[in-house]
Amino acid sequence: MKISFTKKQYISFASVAVMLVVWKILAIYFDSDFIVPPPEDTFLTVVKLFGDRGFILVAGTTILRGIIGFIVSGILGMGVGILAGINPGFNAFINPMLVSIRSTPVIALILLALIWFSPDVVPVFIAMLTMFPFICTNVVDGIRSVDPGLIEMARFYRVGRRRIINEVYIPAIMPFIISGASSAMGIGWRAIIIGEVLSQPQYGIGTRMQSAQTFLNVDAVIAWTLIAILISYGFEKLIRWGERKIVTWKV
Amino acid sequence: MESVVMGLQVKNISKSYNGNFLYRDFNIEFSEGTITCILGPSGCGKTTLLNIIGKVIPPDSGNLIGFDDKQFSYIFQEPRLLPWKTVRGNIEFVLSRDLSADERKAQVELLIRLVELEGFANYYPSQLSGGMRQRVSIARAFACPSDIILMDEPLSGLDITLRQNMIRWFSQIWRSDRRTVIFVTHDVKEALLLGNQIVVLSQAPARIVAHETINEPAESRSMGEPHFKKLKQKLLNALGQ
Repeated sequence: MKISFTKKQYISFASVAVMLVVWKILAIYFDSDFIVPPPEDTFLTVVKLFGDRGFILVAGTTILRGIIGFIVSGILGMGVGILAGINPGFNAFINPMLVSIRSTPVIALILLALIWFSPDVVPVFIAMLTMFPFICTNVVDGIRSVDPGLIEMARFYRVGRRRIINEVYIPAIMPFIISGASSAMGIGWRAIIIGEVLSQPQYGIGTRMQSAQTFLNVDAVIAWTLIAILISYGFEKLIRWGERKIVTWKV
Repeated sequence: MESVVMGLQVKNISKSYNGNFLYRDFNIEFSEGTITCILGPSGCGKTTLLNIIGKVIPPDSGNLIGFDDKQFSYIFQEPRLLPWKTVRGNIEFVLSRDLSADERKAQVELLIRLVELEGFANYYPSQLSGGMRQRVSIARAFACPSDIILMDEPLSGLDITLRQNMIRWFSQIWRSDRRTVIFVTHDVKEALLLGNQIVVLSQAPARIVAHETINEPAESRSMGEPHFKKLKQKLLNALGQ
């Protein structure tokens, strides 16, 4: 078990190394900081950005938008998902809406949001709309997967409806919620940054990316991208850590 | 038979599915404080009868007499434990919230001791063997302050040794509170080991084709004795085997 784990880590490390080597080869081939800056310069830029006075504010604002969008869509998604999972009629009613939201191109949502909202709200709104259907659909799938024998058992024993929801449905759908949260977060960060690039709020990673691109600071564009990847990776790890803490009963 | 008080009656029950009658004007009586085993071929509607008695499904016509204010416990074919609750949590789950947390805890601890799972109170079902899980489900049924325990072939998934142990555990706990038990099975041996009353049903629409009484306490029954052998043969004949 332990050996295969280190082996897996070793392979992941090799994968990162290959990406860096390809990057370096491209940088040497193009030999221009305006097209592909070398990885070492870019990493230096990342370090410099970290040391920058405004960094916390810029990255923090983006993270805050992500968290707000995530919490709002999480609450909405769980509420709507539980109702739709329990009540087939409501599911039939809500499903066309979810499909429409999911099929709408993100850029169309952003263009509309730019008209409707202030620049600070646009990314949050976009994050919410992209995350909500994921969480909602996963909750519905989770509720459908609940063993009907357990529900029947709880009803036989005359356990109240509230306790059936809290102690049977919610724990049963927890793994589904977590996997929904994980895919929602993955797509949510991307949506937030696109939203920031286009709506140009005062602070935000997307705002900085856009201005770096305007001045052809390719290394800064890539550096901010790396930071965005790090944030997304960090939250993914956080969700998995939460999963291990919450879903302790799975062997 | 005459000396037993007949408190619980199923009267003129009919139930059909897609035009096929499982029960047509069916009658059966249960004596309180005893274990009644219902034997029958598979598909004769034994589970349906339990569901009608437990008010899970309504009969098409007919009455239940004496069941109105009764509370039920169930032991299913599979243990039906909540995977995210420990042994303790699963038993506690079915206890009324009218009891205080301390009362619930005491009741749970008592039952865990009775099914001899003391060291396993904090284990999750996935960490237990099949027999241990079924013991938890027995503990859960007895922990619930019900009047009647309904059992739907709870031993059918277990091997022979485990089945015998389970019967021993069950009758041991049962002796401590002598609750009314209605136990559905297709296994004649289980019925002989546990039942005070044994009722044999025919194929659907079900009729009662045999009704036997065993007065010996479960712990002193020996299947090798001639009268048990005779009784077994009688039941097998009634089942058409």
